[in-house]
Formats: sequence, C-alpha cells, structure tokens
Amino acid sequence: MTLIAQSIALFFLVAGTAFSLIGIFGFLRLPDVYTRLHASGKVSVFGVVFLLIAAILLTPLSAWKGLLLIFFVLLAAPSVSHALASAAYKTGIPMARVERDDLKGKLEKSGEEG
Amino acid sequence: MRRVQIAIPLLLVYLALSGNVTLPNLVVGALVALGVSSLLPVGNGAAFSWKRLPRFLWALIRYFFVVVTDILEGGLSTARLVLDPKLPIHPGIIALPAGSRTELGAALSAHAISLSPGELVVEMDDEGTLFVHCLDVQQSAQYAEAAQRLRRRLLREMFE
Repeated sequence: MTLIAQSIALFFLVAGTAFSLIGIFGFLRLPDVYTRLHASGKVSVFGVVFLLIAAILLTPLSAWKGLLLIFFVLLAAPSVSHALASAAYKTGIPMARVERDDLKGKLEKSGEEG
Repeated sequence: MRRVQIAIPLLLVYLALSGNVTLPNLVVGALVALGVSSLLPVGNGAAFSWKRLPRFLWALIRYFFVVVTDILEGGLSTARLVLDPKLPIHPGIIALPAGSRTELGAALSAHAISLSPGELVVEMDDEGTLFVHCLDVQQSAQYAEAAQRLRRRLLREMFE
C-alpha cells in the first residue's frame, strides 16, 4: 500500500517538476508578455498542482487542506494572468507577431474604465 | 440577509482550514467571515431556492468536469507548443460573447476561458464581450465558440 502510494507520489513529483521546468522554458522562449503569461499561467500552474498532489501523498499535509490549496491555486491563477494581461494592454505594451486584434481601438472608445 | 448567506460558507471554510472548532476560534471565524462578506458587492444573481438546488448541483458537477478537461488540455497543449522547436504560435486577440447576463456568470465564464487551451482573457466590455488572447488565432476562432457555447449553457442553468 505504501509502495503504491509512494510510486503515485513519485509520478506526480516528477511530472510536477517537469511541468514547472517547461513553464520556465516557455517563459524564456515566447516573444512577448501576453504569450509568456500563457506559459506561466497554465503550464506552471499545472506543475504546482501536481507538486501539491505529491505533497498530499508524501508529507503530513492533510488531503482536505491540499485539495483546498489546489482549488485556490486554480481560482487565483487565471485571475492573475488576466490582471497582468489587462494591465499590459492598457499600458500599451505591444504584441509580438500579432495576427489579429479585435480589441484594437475599443479601449479608447469606452473611456477610462478600470 | 444576502451577506449572512455569504458569511456562513466562509465561516465553514475557515473552520475547515484552521481545523479546530473551539469557541474562541468560532468567534474569530465569524468576525472574519462577516468582515469579508461586508466588503463583497452583493451581486445581481438569481436568489437561492431549495427547488433549484438539484438542478444547480447537477450543472455544477458537469461544469466541473468540463473545466477539469480544459485545464488538462490547456496545460498539455501549451507545454507541447513551448517544446516545439519551431515555436508554431500565431498570437492575437479575438472577441467572444461571454453569454451570461449576471456578473458572477460572466466572471466564471472568463475564468474558464483563461484555463482553456491557449486562451487568456485580456479585457471585457460593458456588453459582456470578452477579448481573448490566443496562442493560435485560427484554431481558437474555430473551436472557442463551440466550447464557449457549452460552458455558457451550463452557467445559465446554474445562475439564471
């Protein structure tokens, strides 16, 4: 039983570390702030969630607390990504390699909201 | 009354997290919960009713599975993109209807989009149009609408 739990924990530990690394890798490779948010906001969150699952199995962290932490991470991460993307767009940071921008010109029209 | 309705689940979460149900902790938890709920804006969502509860829970469970699949797919596909030596991205911003008239519904819908593959909400206007940044504009423009329709239907069952 403990062997099975430990193997599962090990899998999540390795997967979590791998996804965290891929997130950093993506952060370095992608060209601008918006695409980089995809890497940090999704791939790295994936890594954190996997590491938390491993922590539930391996450390004295109780399952309920761990699941609540996962829930909060999943709740907070997209909000943070959105806040950063929105702030970046409003301060006028340009997008690299942009192919289409439906938001262009819309912001000036709606005034100084936000 | 709405504020107390919000405060009770907050108190329960507080007790669950701190893991001790003694009287002083209960009092502190109640004060924190009331303080937080007094700071929250009271939304314009549909009022709670017992008759709607089963339908709400069923929609919530289905929505949960949709969102979990989206998270898994989003993480994996973004990871694959990042590791591709050619870095095949076609970034851009597209407009999508949020499709929920209540504030909570629109917020949840925006949240779900941010978790779904290669998409990230940048801005939202007064008419409830979401402006979504995508890693692959063509692909997202093709699939996002259908995915959004499914989420919208579930959100509508829950909050309207």
